[in-house]
Formats: sequence, structure tokens, C-alpha cells
Amino acid sequence: MKKGILLFCFDTVDHKYHKILERCVHLIKKNLKLEITIVTNFDTYTHLKPLGFVNYKFIEPELGNAKNGKEWKNVDRHMAYELSPYDVTLVMDIDYFPFTDNLRQFMDTKYDFLISKDAYDLTDRNSFDHRRFSIIDMVWATVFVFKKGKKAKRIFDMIKYVKSYYSYFLDLYRIYDRRFRNDYAFAIALQQANGFLNYDTLPIRIPTLPPDCDIMKFTDEGIVWQYNDQINCTEDQDVHVLNKEVANV
Amino acid sequence: MDIGELKKQSDLSYNIAVAKRNALEKAHSRLVVVYDEHLFRADAETIALVKTLGETHSPLYVLDSNNNPVEISDPDDFLKKLTERNQEAISSYHQMSKTFEKRGD
Repeated sequence: MKKGILLFCFDTVDHKYHKILERCVHLIKKNLKLEITIVTNFDTYTHLKPLGFVNYKFIEPELGNAKNGKEWKNVDRHMAYELSPYDVTLVMDIDYFPFTDNLRQFMDTKYDFLISKDAYDLTDRNSFDHRRFSIIDMVWATVFVFKKGKKAKRIFDMIKYVKSYYSYFLDLYRIYDRRFRNDYAFAIALQQANGFLNYDTLPIRIPTLPPDCDIMKFTDEGIVWQYNDQINCTEDQDVHVLNKEVANV
Repeated sequence: MDIGELKKQSDLSYNIAVAKRNALEKAHSRLVVVYDEHLFRADAETIALVKTLGETHSPLYVLDSNNNPVEISDPDDFLKKLTERNQEAISSYHQMSKTFEKRGD
């Protein structure tokens, strides 16, 4: 059974995502040691430094989404099933930095689709408790694993359907955030595809640094960040970094 | 002690508290184990259950982290993997805790 990691990366006018990708790929090779396929466009590809053995799939990203008034090319995640060359695929945000091999074992389960429902705020402010902003649990599409087959295909078909009628589903589930977010599209699709019942999840909380944390130092082992006048760090722990300035550290 | 020193101590306590909480979360992440294609937590509850049931049952039946039933054909092997992972995660947390104690002195 072929196993690998699928990453999506598109530079925007405001952010050089390819620099974040380079860091992520380095850590994947060091810690997860799995084959990598990068979904990108040619413009982003031309800025990438040589990354060694990596597969590329070129697509033109769907435009039109924005975050804090800036372009946000995040809409293509629903195509992961078709784009993945693997039987078992781990899809990761490129700003999720795997400082451990914890995710690797999730490629060896019997589950067709696994995703986490919780994020953990590394600054201890509990800023990712989004439950009150909708009437369903949000999932974190930052990291998920799927095994190709009927069930996973059905879930991705449902994600496409939810995406097509996204504003309707936002109203139906009383979701406060009006931007297109994979987290909500996946949460809605999983609930619908599973008959409005519970579904299998990853028993992990995604360790996350909020966007107001400045990254001071980035090494192969961990991250040092500053929040207000406090400096803290973590080592040998995966981290999802929301401040895109991590590209320039 | 002047207010500046108190503020310094308060900041230090905050930093240590956050770092300690993050280290515990790191240990919790590490406690997740895949065994026989199912997800488990190598926590005290799972270890105690497998140890207790394993003494009288083989195979034994347990629930994974998503409450799916699993048949464990070799309880001894399962227990060994759980305890290994548990001690790896908790000993790492223990080492981190020692450094926090030094910083707080």
C-alpha cells in the first residue's frame, strides 16, 4: 500500500508561502520520512529551492477567498482525493511543522478518514475554542488522513457539495465566520456523510501558535516565540504556526 | 521586594506555568499509540485495564479511542507497547519538569 504526504502551496501577493513550505518539507524528511507530493502552481514552483525527491502536481488555484483583507488560496483542499497518488494520504497544512514522528503512525490504521476536532493554544489562552461560533463542532483540516476507497470518496464528494452551496450551509449551521474555511466545510461534510452521527477522529489536539505570536527562532528541534513581552519555546513537539511571518525568520 | 521585582517573578511564574502545560500536552500527544490498526491512549486507565483483563482473558476485547471494539490476540505484547510508550512520554515530561523547578528557584 503506497503511503505519502500531500501538501498544498500557493504564493500570494502578501505571503511567500514557498518559504514556509521549504521548512515544512525539511522537517517531514527529517522526522516523518514519507514520500511527499506538493500541489502548487508554476509561479510558486519557480521560487522554490531544490527540495530533493519530491513529486509536484500543478494546478491553477481557485481564487476569490480572502483572510483579513488579504488573498487566501485555500479553496482547493477538496481535490485531495483526486490529486493524491497514494493509497493512504496524510494531508497537512504547510504551516504545520512536524518536529516529531507522531503523525507517521496514523498511516497504519484501519480508518478511512481521520481528522482532529481540537486545537491546543500554546500560549494558554484557549483561543481556539470555536464551539460557540456555530451549532456543530468544528474540525481542524490542518492535518487529516484518508485511505482511498468508497467511504473516503463519499466524504470528499460531500465536501465538494458543501463547497458548492457553502453560504447555504453557513446559514443552516449558524456559522459566524463567513469566509470559506476548510475546517467548516469538512466538519459539515463529515456530519452529513455520517448520517448526523459521530465520526472517527484523531485523538490529538493540534498544538497551535496564534497569529499574534512572533516567531523569534526556528530550529530543527523547535520554535521560540514572543507574545506581548513574554518569550516561550517548545521542542520536540509539532506546531501549527498561524503567523505567516514565520516565512521570514 | 519592590513592584519591579514582583512583576519579574510573576512573569517568570507565568512562563514556567505555560511551558509546563505545553510539556504535559506534548506528553499527551505522545501517548497516542496505533496497535493492530486501531488508536489507543497509553494512559494509566488503558494500561490498568489491559493488565487486569490480560491476567484472565486471552484474547481480550477493548475499546479503541473512537469506541470501536478491538480483539487483542496477544495481550502481553499490547501491554508491553503501552507501557513502553507511557514511560517514554512521562519520563520526558519528568525531565522537563526538573528544568522548570530549577528555573523557579
